[in-house]
Amino acid sequence: MVRLSRVTTVHLALALFALALIGQAVKVQLIQGEEWAERGRRQQYSQGAVAAGRGIIRDASGNVLVESRELMRLTVNLRDMGDRSILLRSLRNAGFPLEAIRQAADPARKWVDLPGLHVPSEVHRLLALPGVAARPVMSREYANNAGIRRIVGGVDRDGRGIDGIEMSLDSLLSGDTLLAAFALDSRGRRVDSPDGWTTPPRAGSNVTLTINRDLQEICERALARAADSLQATGGDIVVMNPTTGEVLAMASRRAGKGAVANTAVTEPFEPGSTLKPFIAAALLERKRAHPDEVIDTFNGEMTLNGRLITDSHKALRMSLADVIRLSSNVGIVRFAQRLTPRETYEALRDLGVGMATGVPLPAEADGTLREPGRWNNTSAASIVMGYELAVTPLQLVVAYAAIANGGELMQPHIVKEIRSSDGDLIFEATPRVVRRAMSPDVARQMRRMLTGVVDSGTAVRADLATFTVAGKSGTARRTVEGKGYVAGNYTASFVGLFPADKPLYIVLVKIDSPRGVYYGGEIAAPVTGVVLRAALAARDAALDRQDLADVKRELSSVDSSGPDADRAPERFGAGGAAPDLRAQRSAAEPSAAPVATASAERTPQPAKTVALPLKRPARVTDRRPRPVPDVAGLVLRDAVRALHNAGFRVTLANGQSVLTLPPAGTIAPAGTIIKLQHYR
Amino acid sequence: MAKRSLSSGRLLIACGLVGFVLTAAAVVARRGYGHQQGVRTAALEGRQVALESERVRLEAAIRDASSRPRLGPIAEKRLGMRVPADSQVVILSRATRSGGTP
Repeated sequence: MVRLSRVTTVHLALALFALALIGQAVKVQLIQGEEWAERGRRQQYSQGAVAAGRGIIRDASGNVLVESRELMRLTVNLRDMGDRSILLRSLRNAGFPLEAIRQAADPARKWVDLPGLHVPSEVHRLLALPGVAARPVMSREYANNAGIRRIVGGVDRDGRGIDGIEMSLDSLLSGDTLLAAFALDSRGRRVDSPDGWTTPPRAGSNVTLTINRDLQEICERALARAADSLQATGGDIVVMNPTTGEVLAMASRRAGKGAVANTAVTEPFEPGSTLKPFIAAALLERKRAHPDEVIDTFNGEMTLNGRLITDSHKALRMSLADVIRLSSNVGIVRFAQRLTPRETYEALRDLGVGMATGVPLPAEADGTLREPGRWNNTSAASIVMGYELAVTPLQLVVAYAAIANGGELMQPHIVKEIRSSDGDLIFEATPRVVRRAMSPDVARQMRRMLTGVVDSGTAVRADLATFTVAGKSGTARRTVEGKGYVAGNYTASFVGLFPADKPLYIVLVKIDSPRGVYYGGEIAAPVTGVVLRAALAARDAALDRQDLADVKRELSSVDSSGPDADRAPERFGAGGAAPDLRAQRSAAEPSAAPVATASAERTPQPAKTVALPLKRPARVTDRRPRPVPDVAGLVLRDAVRALHNAGFRVTLANGQSVLTLPPAGTIAPAGTIIKLQHYR
Repeated sequence: MAKRSLSSGRLLIACGLVGFVLTAAAVVARRGYGHQQGVRTAALEGRQVALESERVRLEAAIRDASSRPRLGPIAEKRLGMRVPADSQVVILSRATRSGGTP
């Protein structure tokens, strides 16, 4: 028998131990390698979905309307919490509701989801406690403005758009959601590691709307004042650029806190007399009437198929121009008898009545325009007076834009451009003509007729001292469900073209169920004046000052009763029997102002014009689009000068570098406002 | 002779062991430093996110505070300001060298 020395025995034991170690290593590394590697990954890395921020929504001038920020949703693992009294005290100090504190104190609970989303700086003490975990959640920060909220909509808990632009452009606004791996330290906190996930998710695209924030606020304020002072149940104001189809402002108001719908596109109404100009345009287009042509209006009373039609402003005879100027029901019904029902239907259909405009806002209403085959024996008369059909405020504005721009029905748009988070252009809106609705000559004649409405017709309260405004007022009876038309319940409206010669704005003001005075010319027209005055005084309200300078009237031509008070009757050479309402109003009700409009109306006219020592330059004609110059690296003064020299207007904003919005190289029309971001 | 080669062999092994220990220590120190930096970076990123969130909140508050609905009533009531009539608005037109509209 071989006797082993003690040294050999020890060596053998060590060798066996080493073999066992090697064997175990082989087992762990080669046989069970995958299992252990997976277990290690689970311990050292956590996987989770990382949502990129939704894109920013800006107004046309680059002002931020909506943007995303990261907030925290907190969870407390109560098992890891040694002394709960510290937690409870911290929760109380952080202002958590009593119910959450009670849940955290419950010894039977193992964890608590704390309510609400929190800014990290507000809960940093809580986050330092063991067992308190934070989950980042992207939250949307909206402008504190009800009107803008109605347009941009909102998102649900999961960050999906549920209304407005947020919903219609959800796929573009929402960024990529990536499944990411994070390295964790011994306390479970995320640690930056090359082994973890490194590529950030791609943020959503940024959307620029055509809405002008200043103008939007002006409209909302004017609407709120009018609705409050008239005790109206609601109202809408829509402002559109008739040349480009850009919707510049869209204010809506309805009674009740829960009313958040953008009613300017979702709620059709019977337009009443604001529809009459389209019938007049159809007559002119088909050469069935002339603006100066006079017909009998039977002193404002006529019976047709057993139905009595009456006028507010009674006259024995009126020209077509006066029918529009004084909004004669009898006159328009008599003139419209020269159109077949099919022609009336087609004329209105061509102007977009009864068809959704296609603006990218959810739940846009079609409106109503029945086929002639479904009309009854009074429908033709009702329709030409603006009843038995329904339009949304936006549809009506689009139709008036055709009169303003020379006869082209424009596709309205509310999204100006969409850029990826890297700044690449994804979409840019361009003016799109849907169809020609009337000839340029008819559109010009209609603008002259509508100027008469504000000059000396039913809407003189919309007039301005130094600019000519055209437009048409409307007062339509409102129906109540189950009761039909109810006495004393009206929609007062006015659609204005400003300035009349070369409209930059189409402004629709609609007031629902006002108390007391209810005529559109009396209550909606003054609101239009308020909006226009405020827009003129605003720094940036999407008005081309150069165009305005060209059409501004000299103050010396303004007489004491208002601008050009006696022009309209002679202009159309026919309305001998038709009254001049401005002159009548001056005599009968010199100061009656049913709506508490802005204090501008109380402003006395200036006694003299101050001559500024400025030389008026020659009219600039080169409006061709040109690239935005690159101003990176320039000092602010030089950057502004470079942009001015390139033919752009400049607005300044604070930022981290000298940048322009739109970015350098973008092709933009001369006169475009460039937002210049600069160091403070 | 044999004794000498044995001692040089042990020296080699000792040097190897020392080298291994030093290398391992360097790797551990480097990983520890990397981990520490990772924790710091994560903390700074968290702070950046928090500050960004705060910036968004404050900018929204500034926008809200400087909006017309907020300032308009204050300007009218406290300062007696008003919206000017259109006749009181002076429109200046100015040409640019390249022919644009400033």
